[in-house]
Amino acid sequence: MEIQGYYLPDGLYYEENHFWVKEEDGLLVLGMDDFAQKMAGEVVYIQLPDEGKIIKAGKKFAKLESGKWLGKVFGPVNGELAAVNEELEENPGLINEDCYGKGWMFKIRPDDIGEMANLLHEPEEIEKWLLAEIEKYAEDK
Amino acid sequence: MENKYDFEKKYRDQILKCSRCGFCQAVCPVYGSTLRPALNARGKMLLLKEVMDEKIELNDDLIESLFQCATCAACVKDCPSDVDVPEIIKQVRKDMVHIGSCHPAFKGMNEVLQKHTNIYAEDEVPDFERKRGQRAENVYFIGCVGSYREEETTDATLNLMDRLEVDYTLIEEVCCSGVLEDVGFEINKDLAERNVESILATGAKRVITGCPYCWRTFNAKPDYAVLEQRGVTVIHITQLLKEFDWEVKTEKRVTYHDSCDLGRHCGIYAEPRLTIGKIAPNFVEMPHNHDDALCCGAGGGVRGAYAKNSIAMARRRLKEVEETGAEVVLSDCNSCIHNLVNAKLRKQKFEIRTTAEFINMLMDEQLKDDSIS
Repeated sequence: MEIQGYYLPDGLYYEENHFWVKEEDGLLVLGMDDFAQKMAGEVVYIQLPDEGKIIKAGKKFAKLESGKWLGKVFGPVNGELAAVNEELEENPGLINEDCYGKGWMFKIRPDDIGEMANLLHEPEEIEKWLLAEIEKYAEDK
Repeated sequence: MENKYDFEKKYRDQILKCSRCGFCQAVCPVYGSTLRPALNARGKMLLLKEVMDEKIELNDDLIESLFQCATCAACVKDCPSDVDVPEIIKQVRKDMVHIGSCHPAFKGMNEVLQKHTNIYAEDEVPDFERKRGQRAENVYFIGCVGSYREEETTDATLNLMDRLEVDYTLIEEVCCSGVLEDVGFEINKDLAERNVESILATGAKRVITGCPYCWRTFNAKPDYAVLEQRGVTVIHITQLLKEFDWEVKTEKRVTYHDSCDLGRHCGIYAEPRLTIGKIAPNFVEMPHNHDDALCCGAGGGVRGAYAKNSIAMARRRLKEVEETGAEVVLSDCNSCIHNLVNAKLRKQKFEIRTTAEFINMLMDEQLKDDSIS
């Protein structure tokens, strides 16, 4: 769906700090959503921790930066870091170019895939959440 | 011919002294990462001569060259004509801001420091679980990068000072704002006054800075001269640590990155090496060290305005770390630490830390070993 110029594909799960999640071969792929990448501007650095790092739902596990903005990546579920997008090491701008494709960030091996139920998924709730976020950050844009 | 700009009035002779020898090209970090002669010191001086000769205009077309300088002063050291390029660049930037030509990131930095108390416009100040504004012999002044980007490093430094029983307090610090002078603007007098008042209110006779740039600002800018007049000395954390002996040592191979601010600008080379010599017998210098050190690309506003090139400069420095075979690279500037950590590739397995943070870590490890045995 597209809401006020921000594209949030249907079928993905969304974490409230603006990271999308989708299930792929038992792993959860995670990336930054269109709203966040537009708000952040050109991403110049993303921390890529070693695979095996323990991830806790709602807790920070990586950092990213765009110019003067520092962002945090939060665990969408409990699990373990299974893979990182190594392309981002040389080209973090992929996050801006293609946030739902080549700009994916991490793959997580979840302890319990059922925890995805805690993320936003239904179109109505995603729309309500994003509209509130647009209003909240209107002054910062 | 009448001088149109202040940089001509102040530096015309110096610009004309540039003999185009190109010694600066070999050491310029911007040239090193872009391979563009128009961006090195010689290129900048040629452009300015053309401006003085009225062959080209000082305008937005020159932003990319004149605002892309880390003011690292590597070129000054090797210049046979003694051209002080960073000072010329700083003045040119002021002239450009005056005529309305400014890099948007630098303009943004000035706007941020007119509204906020730190360069990142952060509203939430980390408390580091310590009281501020207490009476003490020393004030520890963290700096913006240490407060908002390298908090873990700062936390470790404070823990180390606690272990050393240094009598210090933090203050309600705001940005020293010295950086504004580098990016075409003037120091923010309100912020400077707030820092001076907060320091004097503690009764401290010494300020210890975690940031070498803050050290430079406090010691060199007239807005902070009252500190010296009131008998307050300002030292960098490396000058404190050199006074101590340590019961910890590492067998790891350690190397050291001289920050441009601490080294070429402050002349502090021996102090960190004195400390490191006590804790790291397997110390090795990088090929470029002391006043010959390669810049990490974080300074002069380059990190904010030309982030990709800044990271490319840091990667050149990290390549040298790799060549030494070091397992740890120490540096005593939080801006350098931040940029080097950002630039480190996953395959590069060495640690990047400040000297204080590393010693504190060794102490933690020793404590853990003692409790196990």
